[in-house]
Amino acid sequence: MSPEVSNQSLLFLIVFVLVPLTLSYYYQLGMSKDIVWSSIRGTIQLFAIGYILTYLFDLNAFIGIPLMVGIMILVASFHAWNKGKELPNAFVVIFLGLLVVEGSVLALWLVFDMVNFKPSEVIPMSGMVIGNSMVAMGLALERMKSEFTENSGRLMAALALGAQPKQASHLIIRKTLNASLLPNVDSLKTIGLVQLPGMMTGLILGGVAPVMAIKYQLVISLSIFSSVSLSAMIVTLAMYRYFYNENQQLIESAEEMRSRTND
Amino acid sequence: MENYLFDFHGVSKDILNDLNFTIKKNEKIILFGPSGAGKSSALFLFNRLRDPDSGKIYYKGEPIQSCEISQLRKNIGLVLQAPNLFPGTVLDNLKYGPSLFDEWEDSRAEELMDLIQLPENYLHRDVDQLSGGEQQRVSLGRTLANKPEVLLLDEPTSALDVRTSEEIEGVLEKLIEVHQLTMVMVTHNLRQAKRLGERGIFMKEGKIVEDGNISRLLMEPESKALQEFLQD
Repeated sequence: MSPEVSNQSLLFLIVFVLVPLTLSYYYQLGMSKDIVWSSIRGTIQLFAIGYILTYLFDLNAFIGIPLMVGIMILVASFHAWNKGKELPNAFVVIFLGLLVVEGSVLALWLVFDMVNFKPSEVIPMSGMVIGNSMVAMGLALERMKSEFTENSGRLMAALALGAQPKQASHLIIRKTLNASLLPNVDSLKTIGLVQLPGMMTGLILGGVAPVMAIKYQLVISLSIFSSVSLSAMIVTLAMYRYFYNENQQLIESAEEMRSRTND
Repeated sequence: MENYLFDFHGVSKDILNDLNFTIKKNEKIILFGPSGAGKSSALFLFNRLRDPDSGKIYYKGEPIQSCEISQLRKNIGLVLQAPNLFPGTVLDNLKYGPSLFDEWEDSRAEELMDLIQLPENYLHRDVDQLSGGEQQRVSLGRTLANKPEVLLLDEPTSALDVRTSEEIEGVLEKLIEVHQLTMVMVTHNLRQAKRLGERGIFMKEGKIVEDGNISRLLMEPESKALQEFLQD
C-alpha cells in the first residue's frame, strides 16, 4: 500500500521553513525574504508541474515527450548559460550539448529496453538527466573561467614555447573535467550506504519492491554519470577556444571576449 | 634590412606610441625605464603574444604576421617574470617545448641542466619542491630547450633576492657568451643591465627616449627624463 500525505499534513511543512527562518532572524543573515520566497516559489512550481505532468502523461508519447523534454532543455540551457554569459556562443553550445546528451541517453534506454517510451517514464527520468547535466555544464563553465584566470601565466608560458591553444589548455581541460566529474564519482561510491537515492526512495514509498527500485536507480544513476561526463566534456572542449583570439593569443579581459562575439 | 634581425614599427593603443627601432643579430639589448613605460608590452610584441594596433614588425626582413606563429614563438624564446612552471618534474618542464615539435631527445636533459647549472639529480624532482631561484632556472632551461635564436627576458630576477638574482645573472652571462644569442631584456636593475647588456633603450610613457651604449646611457644620460630616472 502506498502512503499518502494529506493536505493537512502538508500544511505542517511550514515548520520545516520556520527553522531556517528563525536561524536567519537570530543570526541576522538577511536571508528571510529569500527563504520565504524560495519556499513559496518551490511549492507553486511543484504543484504546477504535478498538474502539467498529469496532463502530459495522458498525451500521445510522440507529442508529450518532445514537448516536455524540449521545455526542460530550454530552461536548463538558460540556467547553465548564466554561469558563462560572457563567453561567445555559450547558449548555443549548452543547448545543443544538452540535446545531444539527452538524445544519446534516451536512445540507449530505448534500444536496451530499460525504459518504455511513455511520458510517465521518459519525462521524470529525462528531467534527472537534464538537471544533472545542466549543473555539470554550469560547474564546468565556472571552473574553466577561474582556471583560465588563475593559470594565465602558465598559459602565456606554454604559448610562448610554441604551444597551440589546445595544447596550452590541456592542463585546464583536465582540471575542469576532473572537477566536474568528481562529485558524481564520490556520490556513486557511497550510493546506498550514506543515503538512499531520491528515485529509489520515491519508488519504495510508492510501493515498489526494493530490488525493483534498485534496478531503476541503477539505470538512472549510471545514466546521470554518463550524461554528466559527456556534458562536461562537450562544454569544456567547445568553449576553451574562446579564451584565445585567432592569433593564438590569450584573451584576458571579458570586454575583449565580448567584442569577439560582435565580430 | 638583411643585417637586422628585427625592424620594429609598432603602436599599441594606450601603451606604446610610435615605437621605431631595429635589432641586429647577437645584440644584447636592455629595455629599461619607469613602471608603465611599456617595456614588457613591447617585449610581448616580438613573439606575438600581443599584436600592435598599427605598424609592422619584421623578423629577418619578413613581417612577423606572415610567420607561422608556433615556429616564430619557438625561435623567439620568452622567459617571464614569474617561473610559471607546469605541474610535474623538472624534466617534464624541460621537454615541454621540444615535445610540441617532436624534437625532444633524452640526451638533451644533461646538457640543459648543465646550462642552467642545476645538478642532474634534480631532473626527476617535482617543481613544487624547488626554491624560487631554482624554479627560475628551470623556466630559463625550458625556454632554451627550444634552441631559440632570440631570448626575451621580462624582469627574470625581479622576484628573487639579491644573491639568487646574481646567481641567475651568472647563468645568463655564461649563456650569452657561449651561445651567442640575441637578447632583449627588460630590467629595473641597473647593475644587472650594465653586467648583461651592450645596448640600452630607455623608454618612458610608451616612447623611446634614449638609445645607445648601455654604459654611456647610465654614465652620461643626455635627456632630462633619463637623468631624473637615474637619480631616483
